[in-house]
Amino acid sequence: MAEKNEDQFLMVHANYKLHIPKQNQPSMWKRLKGKPILSMIVLVIILLCCLFAGHLANHTPSSFYLKNLNEPPNSEFFFGTDSLGRDIYSMIWYGGRASITIGILGMVISTVIGVTYGCISGTANGKVDAVMMRAVEIVSSIPSLLLILLFVSLMGKQDIFKISLVIGVTGWFALARIVRSEVKQIRNSEYVVAARCMGAKFPHLMVKHLIPNFVSAILFIVISSISTSMTMESTLSFLGLGLPVDVISWGSMLSLANRALLSNTWWVIIIPGLILVITLLVITDIGNYFRKETNRKASNL
Amino acid sequence: MQRKTRVIQKILKKVAGFVIAMVCLSIIVFYFSRLAPGDPLQSFYGDAVESMSTQELLAAKERLGLDDPIHIQYAKWISNTFHGDFGMSLKYKIPAMEVVSPLIGNTLILGGISYLVVFFLAIFLAICCALNEDSLFDRIICKVGTAAYYIPTFWLGVVLVLVFSINLNWLPSSGAYDFGKSGDVLNRLQHLVLPLAVMVLSHLWYYAYMFRNKLLDEFRRDYILLAKTKGLAKVEIIFKHCLRNIAPTIISIMAISTTHIVSGTYIAEAVFNYPGIGALSVESAKYHDYNLLLLLVLITGALVIISSMIAQSINEVIDPRMKELEAVTWRKRTKTSS
Repeated sequence: MAEKNEDQFLMVHANYKLHIPKQNQPSMWKRLKGKPILSMIVLVIILLCCLFAGHLANHTPSSFYLKNLNEPPNSEFFFGTDSLGRDIYSMIWYGGRASITIGILGMVISTVIGVTYGCISGTANGKVDAVMMRAVEIVSSIPSLLLILLFVSLMGKQDIFKISLVIGVTGWFALARIVRSEVKQIRNSEYVVAARCMGAKFPHLMVKHLIPNFVSAILFIVISSISTSMTMESTLSFLGLGLPVDVISWGSMLSLANRALLSNTWWVIIIPGLILVITLLVITDIGNYFRKETNRKASNL
Repeated sequence: MQRKTRVIQKILKKVAGFVIAMVCLSIIVFYFSRLAPGDPLQSFYGDAVESMSTQELLAAKERLGLDDPIHIQYAKWISNTFHGDFGMSLKYKIPAMEVVSPLIGNTLILGGISYLVVFFLAIFLAICCALNEDSLFDRIICKVGTAAYYIPTFWLGVVLVLVFSINLNWLPSSGAYDFGKSGDVLNRLQHLVLPLAVMVLSHLWYYAYMFRNKLLDEFRRDYILLAKTKGLAKVEIIFKHCLRNIAPTIISIMAISTTHIVSGTYIAEAVFNYPGIGALSVESAKYHDYNLLLLLVLITGALVIISSMIAQSINEVIDPRMKELEAVTWRKRTKTSS
């Protein structure tokens, strides 16, 4: 081992890491501070439960226990049964798979469309850009719910993929606008011009230069679009336009809510809804963390 | 004189923009609906289609205009719309306009009242929160508001019905009025309470938070210091200076928010079985009733476009600084902050 000498360069050998002075490692608590730990933990628990639904469920989620219709929560059916005699406890974990899949699929589809559209519109010349933005403006003057109704009425029986496609296809307008304005700001930077001079094609430019530069600006919207997609799915299913009752998701479980109102069976409404709401809030909280905090001056008032 | 022509030019420009937007809207919607796999003939005549002879079928198709190429169908349809004829509702078998027209009023009442209540409360809440920035009150309201905003509208509605109309039996759970009491204002108000509560709870915080942040930015301006040295009270500063300065922002947000509020109204209507165009559009999507859905989409689109144009014009009047360029950059900022 070479002796430590502050004045001279060190000759280091294979074990050079030994010579690096020990840095002040921030404590575990300091590193976690300000991060959404609780939300992360809850989200991981929910995800794991859905993943291992087969081990958690004590009944078959799709079978009808016709002797136990509308049974309140008890030791056999932990969360009770619905008006078709299905076990809500088992259905929640299986249904979570569908709901979360739809959330993520919807997010992926809307992000891909929105980012691509925004990049094209941002880099295109003035006229093309104006037409593309006008088109977005006109389409987004129709409320997204109505747009989705239009799409849904076009389609026959819904399944998980179809419904996330509909949600994704109608959910990218805001994202495209933000991406466009971000791209407009960086399109004339030296490195983009340089890449162009060297003959970079648009896809390369988009993936290597544009996206890394605005990814932090859109991260919050991308994450919250997971919860938007899940909300949309449950709303559609509740309205009877989403997944049919036999495809189990949190939304299709809530589509029985109207019938549950008549028989005043609160557990059919509250329990799946509460799980859905907790998941949505947790995802939003994590998304909020990624939103850039602006530094505030002291108030003059 | 010159000024007058300029004003006329501006108005003409607005009208032209409106017409172009509406035509684009109708083309998009029309093409979509005619490409549908569900057979409109089936939904119009029901099971009778199977027992019809070929000639009868042809005649029926002729009547509905389903045999022509799609662009001629559109041309037929657009010329009809100028006569106020939007085609037959395929489900109710009466003209679509007749189905929709009695319901528009109901929706406007619910949507309009919730629009006003949401924005008044949002401004009020924003001022309260901004005055007590980072206090316990502010933080609690922030947390609760965010949570309320992310609860799905329909679930909130169902839970309120479960609590207030089924278990406590205080308020009616559905409809706009009891049978035979359509003129009774008190009865109507009773039916409005729950849908209104849902609308306000699920939309309020989104706007209150935006206004709160805007106000906080405003508090950091230098003119506040000047006003304070002049000896103005806090409340005076807020109402005389701050609110005035953020008024264009508020109005612009109100303009953009129409789509958002309309979406919420439609869901609330569907949950509470409120006889309005929202519940109707859900119904018509279920039964592939294209003519009706098309009309509803057009009405909604027109409503949104008109209201955003009105807001833009008001903005130009009250704030001459507001030029188009500013409007664009502004829009980007609010979107990112949302």
